[in-house]
Amino acid sequence: MRTFRGGLLIGLAVAVLVGALAVIYEFYDTRTLKRTVRRGEVLCGVNKGLPGFSIPDDKGNWTGFDVDFCRAVAAAIFNDPNKAKFVALDASERFKELQSRKVDILSRNSTWSMARELDYDLYFPAVAYYDGAGFMLPRARNKETSLDLTGSKVCVQAGTTTLLNVADYFRANNMKYEEVKFDKLDDVVKAYDTGKCDTLSADVSQLYALRLNLSKPGDHMILPDMISKEPLAPVVRQRDDDWMMIVKWTLYAMINAEELGVSSENIDEALKSKKPEVMRLVGTEGNYGEQLGLTKDWVVRVIRHVGNYGEMYDRNIGEKSKLKIPRGMNQLWNAGGVQYAPPMR
Amino acid sequence: MTDFRRLTGIFIAAIGLALSTPHAQAQQPDRGDEPGLIADDGYELDPEWQKQVVYFRTTEAPGTIIVSTAERHLYLVQPGGRAIRYGIGVGRDGFQWQGLVNITQKKEWPDWTPPPEMIQRQPYLPRFMAGGPGNPLGARAMYLGTTVYRIHGTNRPDTIGTKVSSGCFRLVNRDVADLYDRVPVGTKVVIRQKPEL
Repeated sequence: MRTFRGGLLIGLAVAVLVGALAVIYEFYDTRTLKRTVRRGEVLCGVNKGLPGFSIPDDKGNWTGFDVDFCRAVAAAIFNDPNKAKFVALDASERFKELQSRKVDILSRNSTWSMARELDYDLYFPAVAYYDGAGFMLPRARNKETSLDLTGSKVCVQAGTTTLLNVADYFRANNMKYEEVKFDKLDDVVKAYDTGKCDTLSADVSQLYALRLNLSKPGDHMILPDMISKEPLAPVVRQRDDDWMMIVKWTLYAMINAEELGVSSENIDEALKSKKPEVMRLVGTEGNYGEQLGLTKDWVVRVIRHVGNYGEMYDRNIGEKSKLKIPRGMNQLWNAGGVQYAPPMR
Repeated sequence: MTDFRRLTGIFIAAIGLALSTPHAQAQQPDRGDEPGLIADDGYELDPEWQKQVVYFRTTEAPGTIIVSTAERHLYLVQPGGRAIRYGIGVGRDGFQWQGLVNITQKKEWPDWTPPPEMIQRQPYLPRFMAGGPGNPLGARAMYLGTTVYRIHGTNRPDTIGTKVSSGCFRLVNRDVADLYDRVPVGTKVVIRQKPEL
């Protein structure tokens, strides 16, 4: 009898211990996918206000390229793009806040660099937008390449990498120039607009946004050349592979969809396609979605709610938006650009 | 085998055209052709359709023309990873085609003799029209291979960026004149289509 009661107690103690461990394990489980699913929403770290990329309106509705990408991830998981919640982050704190689990993903015009992956223990899964420093100048100057800018007065913001890139570029090409720098971006733009310099240098995506605020936007053009590499990419934490795979392949699925001609307008037709590449994409063949921990039709969800890469681009920053940034390097690899997604097979 | 495939391709294309032609006719009145209308040279195109130099990476040699029907852009490849991009009007659905051709002839202010199949679809079109500002072919025409298709100007600048033609590619007169001066007879023209599902 005694031994029976003792055994019961030990059994009970073991059960309690296992239960407690399970609770602790659940609570401290670092796998973002599990935590996201349990929470029921994706926490997206975004820029506070960058036209075309991420900006809230007065009702708190977010729009933009980076915002839409996070909605695509939410759509892949929950079949509902509104399950993405946006957290505005400053440039200075963004990587630390991702590390401390304040957000699940950074979708915030961050340049992918080796130092950032190493210093912060982070991972940039794939390039969402190829940016780089470039030049804006009056259309009337009739220049086709930045190699023609020798002897120019260049307006540029102090303390930026652009300043260094401009210096490197002019030196490397044996071109003389005069630096006209200001601490505030507004002053840079004002100086350019009032003709105090021949050209303005900043990242190309930014130049298109700045052009909108000039007194006569149509009189100015942005050269197609880029003089530095600024690959903008989403960011996740290292050693969180399930989550990283979802973020990476959501972007690649959107790029592949554009390449295969699958869009939000013809997604129902695409479901009836007999083309093997299309069938694998929309999940009528294979089960990549399930292997990712999602459903077979995960790409259909993304395309239906957010669209393919080209649709996301055009709507927010491309020809259908105010910014009107030509696709340039962000065009597909087989149509003049370098956007290239590995095949889904 | 290749010949058989080509024949099958032509056969399928013919069926496609046969099926789509009455459809296109029924659905879309031919708003794209308006012989006699004088082109408005002051018409301002949307930035998307304005001529501009863009980044363009390709294995095609500088001087090649690449037409992207889905984008409604024509690229003239330049050295150094650039292209001059023009906005164009393209064929209606069912009137789009793809392939590699050469420019075989160039004409300024071309006369217009609509091909018989076009007359059949649009009986109200003139049988012949002398070149001039009211001519739908506009200021210049570049003949594509032995086809009935051309790269030409237009008297309807408002149709740039749309799918209106019977398979030709139209630019505004200013742009077509610019392109005309840059490309010789023999220029390679690659025409690309959106992939099919």
